[in-house]
Order: sequence, then C-alpha cells, then structure tokens
Amino acid sequence: MSQTKQPLADRFFQALLRLLPFDFRSEFGADMEETFRAQRSNVERERGLAALLRMWWATIADIVRMAPREHASVLAQDTSYALRMMRKNIGYTISAILILGMGIGVNTSIFSVVNSVLLKPLPYAQGDRLVSLRQPEPKLGIDDIGFSPMELADYRAQNRSLSGIVEYHNMTFTLIGGAEAHRVRTGVVSYNYFDLFGVKPVLGRTFVADEERPGAPAVLMLSYEFWKQVEHGDPNIVGKVYQMNDRPHTVIGVLPPIPQYPNENDVYMTSTSCPFRSRLGSLTQRRGFAMNLFGRLKPGATPDICRADLRTISARLMKDYPKFYRPDSGYYADASVLRDDLTHTARPLLLTLLGAAAFVLLIACANVANLILARMARREQELVIRTAVGAGAGRLLRQLLTESLILALLAAVVGIAFASGSLKLLTQFAGQLTPRAREIAIDGWVLSFATLCATGTTVLFGSMAALYSRRDVGSGLRDGARAGVDRGRQLARSVLIAAQVAFSFILLIGAGLMIRSFLEIQRVNPGFVSQRVLAVGLNLNFTRFNTGPIRISVANRILEKISSQPGVLSAAISSSFPMDPDDAGMGGMRTTFLVEGRSQEETEKTRPVASFRTTSPDYFRTLGIPLLAGRTFTEFDRFSNFDKPDTEMVAVISRSLAQSRFRGEDPIGKRVSFDRGESWAKIVGIVGDVREFGPNHDAPETFYFSLGQTPFFGSLLMRTMGDPKSALNQVRQAIRAVDPQIAITESETLEQARADAVASPRTITRLFGVYAGLALVIAVIGIGSMLALWVRQRTREIGVRMALGASPGDILRNVICQGMLLVAAGLAAGAAGAVAVTRLIKALLFHVQPTDTYTFVLVSALLLTAALIACYVPARRAARIDPQAALRAE
Amino acid sequence: MAQTQAPLTPALFQVLVALADGDKHGYAILKEVEEQSAGEVQLSTGTLYGIIKRLLADGLIVEVRRRPALENDDQRRRYYRLTAEGREVAVAEAVRMEKALERARTKQLLKVPKPA
Repeated sequence: MSQTKQPLADRFFQALLRLLPFDFRSEFGADMEETFRAQRSNVERERGLAALLRMWWATIADIVRMAPREHASVLAQDTSYALRMMRKNIGYTISAILILGMGIGVNTSIFSVVNSVLLKPLPYAQGDRLVSLRQPEPKLGIDDIGFSPMELADYRAQNRSLSGIVEYHNMTFTLIGGAEAHRVRTGVVSYNYFDLFGVKPVLGRTFVADEERPGAPAVLMLSYEFWKQVEHGDPNIVGKVYQMNDRPHTVIGVLPPIPQYPNENDVYMTSTSCPFRSRLGSLTQRRGFAMNLFGRLKPGATPDICRADLRTISARLMKDYPKFYRPDSGYYADASVLRDDLTHTARPLLLTLLGAAAFVLLIACANVANLILARMARREQELVIRTAVGAGAGRLLRQLLTESLILALLAAVVGIAFASGSLKLLTQFAGQLTPRAREIAIDGWVLSFATLCATGTTVLFGSMAALYSRRDVGSGLRDGARAGVDRGRQLARSVLIAAQVAFSFILLIGAGLMIRSFLEIQRVNPGFVSQRVLAVGLNLNFTRFNTGPIRISVANRILEKISSQPGVLSAAISSSFPMDPDDAGMGGMRTTFLVEGRSQEETEKTRPVASFRTTSPDYFRTLGIPLLAGRTFTEFDRFSNFDKPDTEMVAVISRSLAQSRFRGEDPIGKRVSFDRGESWAKIVGIVGDVREFGPNHDAPETFYFSLGQTPFFGSLLMRTMGDPKSALNQVRQAIRAVDPQIAITESETLEQARADAVASPRTITRLFGVYAGLALVIAVIGIGSMLALWVRQRTREIGVRMALGASPGDILRNVICQGMLLVAAGLAAGAAGAVAVTRLIKALLFHVQPTDTYTFVLVSALLLTAALIACYVPARRAARIDPQAALRAE
Repeated sequence: MAQTQAPLTPALFQVLVALADGDKHGYAILKEVEEQSAGEVQLSTGTLYGIIKRLLADGLIVEVRRRPALENDDQRRRYYRLTAEGREVAVAEAVRMEKALERARTKQLLKVPKPA
C-alpha cells in the first residue's frame, strides 16, 4: 500500500502513533493501524458522525495519555540495562563519574558564589534603582572626600533625579545594657534610610521623621546578628533601654538578616543621636565630615541622568564656594549603582575563578570523552550484535544517551556534594570581597547549573560516541572498514589528550603565577616586626573622657598598668596599627600640608599625604619600626593646656615622605602646617616605611603625632615575651582595673592581622592551586589510560616486533614517544594559550609578569615529569609483553 | 506474576474474557469487549494495545503463529491466545468478583437473582 493512496484518516493515525516509542511502534504499529481502520469504518457505517468524532477523540486522548508511560517504560528498561553495563565496567564508571563530578563540582561551587553575589538582584526593594554618591578629587588622588551635612542639604535641595537621599556614617560607641560594656559598631543614618532601601524590620518598626529632630529622644535599631547573638533573640527586645554616650537609648526594632552596606553594624541610630554628627561644628562646616550618601533614582531617571544632575550641582558648589572646592582638585560629584559598588572588588576575582573552573570542566570533559571512546572500542562487539538482532540506529542512540544521562546525573550529584562541601570556605572567601557573601547558598539556580553542566557535557560526548558507534555498526561486520574507523578514532583520542595537556598547562601556569605572586607578597618586608605583638582595641566612652588631659591621663594609666605586667616587653597606645582590619578610614584620610618657607602654590601642587597616626612614645620600639634620623616622641611631647599649647607640636615622618617631599633637604627641624599656616608642627624624626594597608600595597607617606598632643586613640599594642594571645586575659583585667567603662574590642596579634591582610590573595592562590592540581591529575590519568589502551590494542603488533628482534628498551622508548609526542603538542598549544590568557589575571599578580619565564619553565618541567611517569607505566607493561604469548593470543 | 494476585482493571479482565473462547485479533477483541459490557467498556486502539503489550509481557496471552482458517484473514493481522496462566488469572478474578457479589447480596445490597 503506497503512502499516497492512504486516506487522510490513516495518515493522521500513523502520525499519532509516532508519539509512542519506537519499540512499541515497531511491535504493534501495523496491527494498530489495521484495528483502528476496522473500528473506524465500522463506527462510521453503523453509528454515524457523532460517534465517529467521539471515537477519534477517545483514540487521540488515549494515545497522548499512554505515550509518556510507554516512554518511561523504555527509559526504565534502558536505565536498568545501562546500570547493568555500568556495574560491569565499574572502574570506567567510577572514574568517569568522579572526574566529571570534580569538574562539575568546582564549577558549581564557584557558580554558587557568582550567582549569589553577581547575578541575583539585591535583597533590597528595587535594588537596581539605588545609587551611592561620591565626591572625588581625582587630581589629588582622592576617590571620595565624603559628604558634610551642609553638602547633604545642598544635594537634597537641588537634585532632580533622585527621589530621596539618605546619609550614613559609622561610629564605634560603648553600649551599656547589662553587666558588661559592649563596644558596638553603630550605623548613623537618616530616619528614612531603611525605607529608601526597602528594608522591613523583623520586629518593631524603623525610624520616623520625629526621631531625627534635634533633641529627640535617642532610639536604636538592632541588627539581626546583634539581636541573635548578644540578646539571644529576645522577643521582647523592643522597648529595652541601653546607656550609650551617657544617654538612654530605646530599642524600637530589629533588622532582618540582610547584607549591610557599606559596613556591617551592630546597631543603628538616627543622625541626631550621634554626638559627633550633631556637634555644632559638623553642621556648619562645609568640609571635613565624611558621610556616605545613598539615593533612589526617580522613575524614568537613569544612572547617567543622575550623574549629569549631580555634576551640575557640584559645578555650582565649586562656583559658590571656591575656598572649599578648588578647581585644581578636579572636584566633582558622581553616583554609582549600588549593586556595582557592592560587588566591584569581587567581580574580577570571581570571574577569574569561574574561568579557571571552566578549564577544569573542559579537561574533565575531554577526559571523559576519551573514556567513552575507549569504552566504545571495547563495546563494538556488543553494539554490532544488537544491531544484527534488529535494534535500529535510533534505538541504539537512545540507549547510549540514556547511559550518558545516568552518568551525568551521578556526576551532578558528586558535583553538588563537592560544592556544598566547599560552601563554607567559599563564603568565607567571598566575605573578604563583598557584603553579599552572606547570601551565598545552593539554590535552585545552582542545582540547575550543575545539572545543565552535567547533562550538556555528557550528552554532547555521549552522542559523539554514539555517532562513532553508528559508523562502526555499518562497518563493524565488514572487517575491511575497521582500520579506517580505528584511525579516525585514534586521531580523535589524540586530539583530546593534547587538549587536556594544553588546558592543564594553562591552569598550572595560572596557579604558578598566583603562587609566585603570593610568595612575593610574603617576602615583602612590611616595615615592622609582627611577631609576638598583641593589639587590643580600646574604646573610650567619648562623653565621659571628653577632654584632652582626661584622655592623656587614662592612656598613661593604662600604659603604666600594662607595662608593669610580667611578660610584657613594651607597650604603646595609638590611633590604629598597621594592617588593622577595622581601620575603615584607610587611605581616606588625606590632606595637603604646607612646609614652612615654601609658597602656597608649591604646596597645592603636591599630592596630599595618605596616612596619619597618633602614637605614644613607645610605639616605634614596640612595633620594631626603625628610627632613621632624629628622635621619636618622649613623654614631654605633651600639652597640659590644649587651649594654649605649652610645648611645641612635634611630628615624626616616614622615610618615603621625607624622600618625596624634602628632596635633598634635611626635614628634621622643618616645620609643617595642616591648617594653612595657623599652627605649626616641627619634624623631629624620620622612621622606616610601614606597609600600613597590607604587604601588597605600597607604604603610604605617613605623619606620626604624639598622643600627648593629639589624644585620640583606639588601640593598645604590646610586645610580649611569650605567646601574645596568652596575655589577653591579663590585659583585660588590667584595663578593667583602670576603668571598668573602657570597652575592649577585638584583640588580635599582628601576625594574624598580617595574615588577614593577604587572606584574599591567599584564598585565590589556594583555589587556583587546587584547580590546577585537579587538572594535572585528570590529564595525567588521561594520558596513562590512553596509552594503556593503545598498548592493549597492539599487543600482537608489539609481540611481532619483539619476535623480529626489537628489544624491550625499543618498545619502551616507542610507547613513551607515542605519549610524549601528544604531551609536547599539548604543551606547545598550552603555552600559546597561556601567553594569551594569563594577561587577564595581570591585575591579580604582585610583582610578577603574566609571562614570567621562571614560572613557565618550572610548570613545563612539572607537567613533563608527571606526563613521563604517566607514560612510563603502560610503556613498561608493553616492554614486558611475552612475544610468544602475544602471538598465541589472537 | 505478582500482579496476578491484585485485582485486574476492568479493561484487562474484559480482554482476557474476550479471548476465553478462542484466538482473536485486535479489532475482534475490541468489538467483543464492547459487546460483553453492553457498550460500557469502550476501548480505544491505544488502550487496547497497551493492555496487549502488558498481557504479552506477563505471559497471560501469546501471539499465535497459526491463524484460524477464515476466508477473509488479513496477513497483517496478529492473533492472540489466552495462555493457561492467563486463564487461571481470569478465573481467579471472576471468582473474586463472584465472592464480592455474594457478599453484596448477603448484605442485601443486591437482590438474589431468580433462577433462569
């Protein structure tokens, strides 16, 4: 019966049957057509059109309903067959799952971070409409001078692109609510700060306008963490009254667990509750008060419109107040989308890691593809037989794809397990880069990503293998065609091996460069001796210790008490210490200064100094900072009367400051001014440079002032004889003895601070190292197993050659050459690739060029050695082949 | 044969019953089931072959190579036969149904049928 003569109904029914799986159709298809035809003509004849339509409907509905079931049953069949085959080849199965699982695991773990940090919308209402404002002075090298209350008022009044501007700055206060004084990180904000971010409290309410009136009773919002940890999640916390800055502060609400930006804080207060913010000076000073401002874009306004709007205002300010905004500073106002602000440090690192992880996956894929090909070679017989007994090519393809999918799902499980195992480590790592780290989780997207990775790669390689098998099936029964297929397959496998080597080489180079760079960082002399120094944060209640003499006296009492403790070699009090993780103002405090005798213009042309520190006399001795010239501070460098200074103000400067600002002159004895000549400080000494912001940052030019003349301090430092950590309790007691209202904040050793300062490069180096190690292992296994198969397939040939006089040494060399040739090809490709790719990580490297010869040579040597070992194992087996046994075998 | 202990679906049972008195091809089964149930059970082609596949797999029916000598036998049609096992299952089901009826009658849910 030819197709064209069939009535439409029959053809439609045939089409309907195509919904059913191939097996079902080939078994019952023809019979079903026949039965349906008979039924249809019968119904049409005997019961009319309506019954006929009903019958059609039932038929269609039934087939549509049964099709998934039938497909599932085929799948179950294939699955059980696949599982049987996998059990039979358990070695292959486990290695494929593990290799692929690792590849997927590293990708999934990094993706979980990328997903939460870079891809997911901010957890604030319409987070993409939030902007953060800045006032850069690029010509002075300043990213942001911050905003004063007066500037806030100007921008609020004059902008047209923002529906609201809120302020933020953070302070550290002492909070007294129970037995112990807590030092709390306090966010000082506008009343509508949380409304602008769209944050709803979990308990109580947020601030209202009345609470930001001058003189309003002080109220607090607690962060979720503070509430949970310090107040143990007390459900009746709202209404609790704390003492802070000698005033009662009432809790009005608790924030949800959200990433806090710009800093993590324990509590929040309104701007009028902050003693500094509400000081008269802050309100009338145009400059010198650094707040952060955030705004929400008005409907229709874009970030670009907002930027233009802000620039107009800043230009107007510059015109109206030339004294404060100097044209030669390059001053302007700018806004950036909050989301970019939150993630701009994390983005390049995470994308680099994702790229590295992708390489691991590529290597894993190449390896698994090779495994599949190798296995196909062994399964040829099985597939040929199955074809001979009537399995169609489509049927076989389906079977092979099912096997691939099962492999993929198992690999995905391994990958997800790997990812959840590394989640904690990665969250910690990301925490060094972005406040969004707390959002990192394995969610639906991450699971889909892993599954997609797994199925995408295996289906690709599964069908590749199936295509090979398809070609084989045609030719497998005819022996003559085999050689050609074998050659093709051999070529494919060789390319895959070379590719693995190339990708591993690139990753190893990446890791090598990172390690080199990290070693460079470690080798850097930070300018101080970090061993056996303990740093303890001190927090004074500012309202109680409110005058200079009071603060000096308490500092002296503390120092006296600490210095007399056994095991303490020396102690000092300072405003902060090198690599202090809490020193949030790092690099933000900059100012120009005037050298006596130089012109104003000359001074204004110079860049401002980056770092200031107030120290007690023993600071330099305690930290091992060398004195290069002159003297350090003594106890006589102190004012007894701050209104009418009774001693000469003195300063010590760092070496780089001396070199860059006093070329050829001796700075000692020179006088400098920070207030345009109103008051002067005499330079009395030069000390060594200190890498204040971490070993991978240059040492800033620094001014040191005497604590006795500028009594602001936050840290107590002591060099101990033994383990500095063990001195902590002693210190705690000593300070409590001096004054129980002085809160001790975090304590850490300078060793820790130094290690923490490079935590992020360390983690990245480690991750790169792990990836590269993984890649190397996978590639080496790939080379070894391919050669082993090669040897097995050529047992007879090798036997013949040995029978003809080849020595085991010849065979050994020959096999090793086979392998190393591919390795060399891969290495060459990898080197070319590495030169092209490593440029991308240039920004992450410290004192190392992306094409560092040393690294390239060392990595090549490492890879070649590993490959040689991988080749040697199968080569030795080949060399030990007994020619007689080999010839008898076939 | 675990599933033979479980009650059969009505359609499955009807197909077995249809084959009780001789080998039949698909359409014949379809027609007989419809007549047996007085039009209550109407199988579509898809459902029927789904059942046939299952019965074949369970060994309750077999395909017969030897065709009945009918004048209009179509070469493409396939004939199915109840196996001994299939018969057992059908009988067991019928007995089970009978017992169920009996219980229904003793509880006076159904009237006792008058002897014919």
